[in-house]
Amino acid sequence: MSEMLEIVTEVVEKICKDLVTKETVDLLEEGKWATPLWQQLEDNELLKVAVTEQHGGANGDIADLLALYQLIGYYAVPAPVLEHTLANFILEYVGLAPFSSITTILLSEQPTLTLTNGRLDGVVQHVPWARIAQQFVTFAKEGEVLKLITVDLAQAEIEHATNLATEPRDTVSFQQAKVAAQVEINEQQLEKLKKYTTAAKLSAISGALDKAFQLTIRYSKEREQFGRPIHRFQLVQQHLAILAGEAAIATTAIENMAGALVGEREQFEVAFTSIRLDEASKIVATSAHQVHAAIGVTYEHSLQHYTRRLWAWREEGFTAHYWQRELAGDLLQVEDVWAWMTTK
Amino acid sequence: MKLPVVQFTKEQEQFRLEVRAFLQHHLKKGTFRKKCDSWLSGSDPAFSKLVAEQGWIGMTWPKHYGGAERSTIDRYILTEEFLAAGAPVAAHWFADRQTGPLLLRFGTEEQRQFFLPKIIQGDCFFAIGLSEPNSGSDLASVRTRAEKVDGGWLINGAKTWTSNGHDAHYMVTLVRTDSYDPQHKHQGLSQLIIDLHAPGVTITPIPYLTGERHFNDVFFDNVFVPDAMVVGTLGNGWAQGLAELAFERSGPERILSTFPLLNELIAELKKANDLVGLATASKLLAEMWSLRNLSIGVAQVLEEGGEVAIPAALVKSIGTKFEQKIPEIARLLVATYPSLQAQRAFDRYMAESILHAPGFTIRGGTSEVLYGIVAKGVVAQ
Repeated sequence: MSEMLEIVTEVVEKICKDLVTKETVDLLEEGKWATPLWQQLEDNELLKVAVTEQHGGANGDIADLLALYQLIGYYAVPAPVLEHTLANFILEYVGLAPFSSITTILLSEQPTLTLTNGRLDGVVQHVPWARIAQQFVTFAKEGEVLKLITVDLAQAEIEHATNLATEPRDTVSFQQAKVAAQVEINEQQLEKLKKYTTAAKLSAISGALDKAFQLTIRYSKEREQFGRPIHRFQLVQQHLAILAGEAAIATTAIENMAGALVGEREQFEVAFTSIRLDEASKIVATSAHQVHAAIGVTYEHSLQHYTRRLWAWREEGFTAHYWQRELAGDLLQVEDVWAWMTTK
Repeated sequence: MKLPVVQFTKEQEQFRLEVRAFLQHHLKKGTFRKKCDSWLSGSDPAFSKLVAEQGWIGMTWPKHYGGAERSTIDRYILTEEFLAAGAPVAAHWFADRQTGPLLLRFGTEEQRQFFLPKIIQGDCFFAIGLSEPNSGSDLASVRTRAEKVDGGWLINGAKTWTSNGHDAHYMVTLVRTDSYDPQHKHQGLSQLIIDLHAPGVTITPIPYLTGERHFNDVFFDNVFVPDAMVVGTLGNGWAQGLAELAFERSGPERILSTFPLLNELIAELKKANDLVGLATASKLLAEMWSLRNLSIGVAQVLEEGGEVAIPAALVKSIGTKFEQKIPEIARLLVATYPSLQAQRAFDRYMAESILHAPGFTIRGGTSEVLYGIVAKGVVAQ
């Protein structure tokens, strides 16, 4: 962790602690979002952590962003912080200029938008925060050519929809919309973009996992039954130990994945992290709810904010299902699995 | 609980290839036959001697005892390669993993000079004497007595489940050097090195469920142990033993016991061009990758002298569950008739894995005991 990163995470953590309460996260249910938080982050230049100096940013790297996204997940931040900062990081990666206005991003395996003479047509589903964003970064096909484009959402028709955690995931339609920028994406860039977007989501997932684990420990100490705190029961301890294990596995996987990405030596780290965190999400959501019992499945308790995010986020972007198929294809070509996994 | 990310150096990568070439050579030559669970059920003193000739037993220990002063990470790489190749390293395993480090930390100079060079040369194997007929998970209840006599101790009692005790020359034995106080069970325990060929020692096999010789009962009937064979401080045996556990629980042997089967599973799926099967198998590789990160992170912290009791317990509880899961997933992906006599490697590894799997989550601390340690640790934080 760089020195800058330590300062950034400290400041973001403090802002989140102060401004993101359960009630803030609940705002989503009323169709609102955390505008004061956004303002704070913007005022403190925290939305530009990974923007280059050339564009007025702090020149952070992907590992800095991933650490930030763990906090986004840990606090269930009800604002498009991940989408905005990731979109800008990716724009700069492909050589385009970042935006200051709210920007969202969605990259899919099968792009549904088509580009003809600089005009965009088609419908994209599940676009995060489209209703409040001004810019949209996505893939479009021009004939057989894959392009990354930016488009002003003022030209789109937006239909509200949400994911399992009630986060905005809107349906966005374009008809002869004018793209602001476009760039052709080659195979190598495509691989990188898939990995960056997956890694971003996985970092947020690991934050939510950790929070579900921490909430469960806290609850097991507060809740008393049969005259003692429930963490004293061996069967509850088994859940706590399983949660601790999944949290440790997830954190270590994220750290190793981030290290590989920032060192430009990534191979299968993103794929493995995706598949393992998919499993961890299932285990953590199950055990956390079991320990919380009835209160945990109510709207009153904040556990649902994190477990619902786990269930929502694991299906978004490039999923474990996608990476499993990728790995299966890779394995067909691998001569010796042990050597493949242990030797550069 | 943040563990470091370890990136191997060029020299370490090179060392891995060196070990791999050695193993490939002996596999081809027929020196050993690859099998699952080879680190505990593959005892072959002649193979241990070959490993010693490479300078690979006690490789992290000081040079003046014959060691190579290599890092814990080097040893980690060596161990991983042995396990992946299913090599029979059980004979020297405990001496290399536990006894050496124990003596370096708590032993007398005389003990080090006497034992370490012999271990390094592959001429001296150790067994671990912890469990007793009435002390399993409740280890602190051990009753084997050591009674003070002139110049040493007289031992009476019994140890059980002693892995490969029949091949070992000595046993580091946890005994009671003070009377048993149920209120203070952890006190009055000491570690003594007992010569397993001394008069009064009887070793009898407890056949493993396959009929193989692996476990033993070890009985002590007025066995004399000289004072010089007390390890560390009298009465400090419990604390000294705990220090060994982090090494015992966090190594690659808690992840890779059934790796030969996983490797063969992927080979079979590739042969059949089975993409759906390979996708399922990739989940196992993702688990293995994430466990390795945890385990190597712990090794690095151990190297730096840090505290890792909880992550070590996690490596063992999650890792051994993973080892057990491999045969159960593999048998649904590739049709098999498991048999120890099978010609096809997949069927043979399957048989070995199924028959040895129940022990994975028991030996070295049951999962239930480990869960208790982890849960109490996280609640206290």
